[in-house]
Amino acid sequence: MSAIHLKSEIDPSFAWAPYEPGKTNPWTKAKVGHFYNRAAFGANWNELQEGFDLGPQKLVDRFIHPEEKQQKKIKDFYVRSNAQMRTLQKLLDINQCSAWWLSRMRQSPSPLQEKMALFWHNHFATSFAKVGNIGYMLGQYQTMHEHALGDFVQLLQAISKDPAMLIWLDTITSEKGKPNENYARELMELFSLGIGHYTEMDIRQAARAFTGWRVKDKKGVFEAKNHDDGEKTVFGKKGKFQGEQIVYLCLEQKACAEFLVRKFIRYFISEDLQLSEKSLSALIESLANQFRRDYRIDRCIETILRSNLFYSPLAYRQRIKSPVDFTVGMARTLESALGSLTLAETVELLGQNLFRPPSVKGWDGGTAWLNGQTILFRNQFANTMCKSRQPSALIANSKPKEDTGNSNLESPNLDWSTASPLPYILASKYQRHSLPEQKDFFFQLFFQGDLSPETRNHIDQFAEQLRNPDYPAHWSERHRQEYASISLCYQFLTLPEYQLN
Amino acid sequence: MISRREFLQSTTIVGTSLCIPEFLSKTAKATGNANNPGNSDTILVVIQLTGGNDGLNTVIPFNDPQYYKLRPTLALKEAQVKKLNDQIGLHPALNALHGLWEKKALGVIQGVGYPNPSQSHFRSMDIWHTASLADGVSEGWLGKSLKSIRQGAFHVASKNETTPLAMMGAPARVPTLTSLSDFQLKVPEGPLAQLQKQIIHQEVKPPANSNITVANDSNSQKSNPASLLDFVRKTSWNTYLSSDRLQELGKSYTPKVSYPGLNVNPLADRLKICAQLIEAGLGARILFVSIDNFDTHANQGGANGTHANLLRQLSEAISAFYLDMEARGHGKRLLIMTFSEFGRRAAENGSKGTDHGSAAPMFLVGGKIKNEIIGKHPSLTETPLGNLQHHTDFRQIYATILDRWLGVSSKEVLGESFAPVACL
Repeated sequence: MSAIHLKSEIDPSFAWAPYEPGKTNPWTKAKVGHFYNRAAFGANWNELQEGFDLGPQKLVDRFIHPEEKQQKKIKDFYVRSNAQMRTLQKLLDINQCSAWWLSRMRQSPSPLQEKMALFWHNHFATSFAKVGNIGYMLGQYQTMHEHALGDFVQLLQAISKDPAMLIWLDTITSEKGKPNENYARELMELFSLGIGHYTEMDIRQAARAFTGWRVKDKKGVFEAKNHDDGEKTVFGKKGKFQGEQIVYLCLEQKACAEFLVRKFIRYFISEDLQLSEKSLSALIESLANQFRRDYRIDRCIETILRSNLFYSPLAYRQRIKSPVDFTVGMARTLESALGSLTLAETVELLGQNLFRPPSVKGWDGGTAWLNGQTILFRNQFANTMCKSRQPSALIANSKPKEDTGNSNLESPNLDWSTASPLPYILASKYQRHSLPEQKDFFFQLFFQGDLSPETRNHIDQFAEQLRNPDYPAHWSERHRQEYASISLCYQFLTLPEYQLN
Repeated sequence: MISRREFLQSTTIVGTSLCIPEFLSKTAKATGNANNPGNSDTILVVIQLTGGNDGLNTVIPFNDPQYYKLRPTLALKEAQVKKLNDQIGLHPALNALHGLWEKKALGVIQGVGYPNPSQSHFRSMDIWHTASLADGVSEGWLGKSLKSIRQGAFHVASKNETTPLAMMGAPARVPTLTSLSDFQLKVPEGPLAQLQKQIIHQEVKPPANSNITVANDSNSQKSNPASLLDFVRKTSWNTYLSSDRLQELGKSYTPKVSYPGLNVNPLADRLKICAQLIEAGLGARILFVSIDNFDTHANQGGANGTHANLLRQLSEAISAFYLDMEARGHGKRLLIMTFSEFGRRAAENGSKGTDHGSAAPMFLVGGKIKNEIIGKHPSLTETPLGNLQHHTDFRQIYATILDRWLGVSSKEVLGESFAPVACL
């Protein structure tokens, strides 16, 4: 990955130009792993190989311009998954909703769409804690999922009338003469412009324009009798504005595209890009000029995912895995059948409770994900994953058919005599039987062969000790082999490098 | 092939106690006291009220007719408030805090804020955490003071919380913990469990040339591209060492007073963990906890309801914690400070709630505080843009606490001098 050396200055036209593999900067499995970490939720063994065979541009095509056959597969998947959603609305359990979404991330044939829905959930962070209605929370998710890679203008307009949002930021109680400023403020500060690009008076005036919205029959409806139809002045323009026009006014501000592009870069490239402020501004401006033309989210993301910058050392392993990346990624890579409800409980412990972000600002992300407690919880999850037993039949099919949130291990047809710890049967599936073979397998699977010599040396030493430890006399040969697989796999998953995406 | 014994010798963490964060290898000095700051074992517990607490319905000018005009549905009547004097009273849900007032362990500072207040939650919170009005500051006032104190600190958190900006800039990243029992490194059970633990420690051990006690928390340093991996290593290293020590604690802790029931009052649960950390004598000097949901834009309630419930939690948690600590002889070592990013607009809005405002009161609790109301209540008639005006800069209070309580130069931490407030 170090083949191209980018300094703290970078030419925007080079940075955003499509990456083309060459002798000095070849296409590698490490790059495939990197792509899957960012555009999806990690790669499993077969995906690493497929992605390598496709090459960088065709890989992006598959994610953003799927072929007809793939399109049908995606459509079928979402028809089935949406049917499950209707059951969820009756269960009245927000943890089940979180599990359902996590299972989509694990299984969706269109993972980038889920990745972007998660981006928007963080951008328009709305919590069930206040909204209190599962139907509205899922409805908001559906809106974000629908527009996840679509048109930002439509998304921002839809969110401004979304029932969960109307409740979350108090628009439903805002009326003529007594405007509530909550939505107007966050629309400008967090959803479109960023602090410094509006005044307190803009907020107070815009708040008047959003008066009159209520939630009726599960929809956001505008009631003229509660609306302040007087003249308002926002960003220096005068008019009898309603909410919709305020949204358009925000979209017209130069700062809007820049604000969004900066967040896209944080999400797909790095949260702390090692560039001078001047160079970063030039990068943002260049891509914002593209985004502003049509506000097409997919086109902007496509540019990013194809770019030289995306595959540069400025991006590679330059993000901390979010709890969702960490748990869903581990489950996908290990081809685990563990129920998604366990994953939902885990992301909560790790600080990323889906449908319940801590505030309207969303999760801080980056280095904030890791503190003493969350590092220990991450290790505990890895330990649980390594020790979890499942019949090899489940792994041969690779993906659980119906993830209802509960464990897939309850099916009566499974042959329990073959049940073994996950790392053991995964290595067996790919014919890695001996300890050195397993060590190399995990090394390739999790890190695509890219770790420092010191780290490899530590692992080698541990594996050496695993060849013949003082096992208790009553441990069977099978028990010993399983222990070796579990503890070897766990050693890889607790490496500090594994925390990076 | 190397033998296991050799391997253990080469990777063991035993014998590296010089690398252990300084405070974990020290026991608190039992003889220190608050009369001798800097050479003492004084403790600061900071409680953050997240979301912007409505100061006007917390410390109430019940004699001011303007109060009732501004708050037609939310105002508390004179008969309801817990009076501190003939002008000012506490919200009735602060009954337990009023009990501390009568024990002379509560101080109230009115009208606290800063110039050109921001009404963004996030910007204003950053200002309080960094004690700076400048943009993009990456170190907090508590983190910076830990550079001089060179003893420990903890962030006792709920699941959804991340390390507060206030704690950034500390010599080693301040550990966050949510429960003592979960704060340990577990490995698969088997004959190599102990060895595996040691190698996991080894994998994150900072290189010999990087001294962890002076290396900076790399929150936003733009220096070398490997810094993200270094950050993970340092954070993990500090965590593993702390967890080893904490496993000895808390197993048999019995509070001297009863705390609100488990899970009824999450703030009280967190303060109880603080009590255990203090009682264990780890030498931790600064503790940080939060209570969320003060952003009461709608239906905040008066004597009962959303805001009252939050205040009751706050008041009962602080009271139980202080009384427990006092009964164990820590009362005079302890200073509890509350703050929120801003108060709320003087007038209520159309949603029976309140929008973002500015100046608000702070509470100090402890065995050595001045049991007084400091500063007058902000005017309810002179309210530019509907906001209460501050007369005391919060950095004056920080400065007072730094100089007179923690024994740290406030000028060094805050970058300039602020006039002290007679609150300690």
